[in-house]
Amino acid sequence: MPYPEDLIQHAIFLSELNLPHEPKQVDLRRAVSAAYYAFFHLLTTEAAQNWKHQSQRDRFARMFDHGRMKACSSMVSSRPLPVDANEIRIAKDLKLVADSFVKLQHARHTADYDNSKAWSRTQVWEVICEAQDAMAAWSNIREQEIAQDYLLELLGSR
Amino acid sequence: MLLPRGVTQPTELIKHLNAMAPFPPGVVNWRYTIDNDWSGDPAIFFWITLSDEAARRAVLSQNSRRITEFITQQLDPIGQWGLIPYFNFRSQSEQASLKEEVFG
Repeated sequence: MPYPEDLIQHAIFLSELNLPHEPKQVDLRRAVSAAYYAFFHLLTTEAAQNWKHQSQRDRFARMFDHGRMKACSSMVSSRPLPVDANEIRIAKDLKLVADSFVKLQHARHTADYDNSKAWSRTQVWEVICEAQDAMAAWSNIREQEIAQDYLLELLGSR
Repeated sequence: MLLPRGVTQPTELIKHLNAMAPFPPGVVNWRYTIDNDWSGDPAIFFWITLSDEAARRAVLSQNSRRITEFITQQLDPIGQWGLIPYFNFRSQSEQASLKEEVFG
């Protein structure tokens, strides 16, 4: 199973641990983090696939910066949808991808650094659903030019 | 740095927030806070309590998406107010147990 899918399964596993009304914060927080990293690694791995030399792809994938990826995704998410009916479906999927990236990253940051916030299972399941929906949307558009442009923009290029 | 409209015109924003209705079924309570997100961008956080039925895992994704779309369409947080929207959902019974103030 590809690593991003393993991470999603791991997030689900962690979110279901313990009794129905007694989840542990440590499991819920790690589940949120795993859901974000599932999507993060999906995007960086996809970008690295475009690098010609296979032996350098893991190094290429490590060049991505969380803050730059967030700034780029926030910008893409706020772009108006195209007028052309043929382009709307693809643009909507890309918007969902970019929007989800911003939300998942914030959730992960809160889960990993803000101990004042208590997580519930519902919150975590919603985060996992967001990651799954975003991954599905990405698979619909991954070969499209605007999706490939997005990968470049995530790296910080204009 | 130019401040977003959501920060410079809070009264106007509150008026729009209060005018959002009717909320999709399943919403028991909703609140919002305006703050910066982790990277310092201005944001609006929605804290939404769902009925236990609406928060069931089988229907959660569908319900949360409906509510998210409702708020996004009614308010347009980024386009109209310059605020990144973040949504947090929990069930009524979870909130009864966690009693987190931000969820009300």
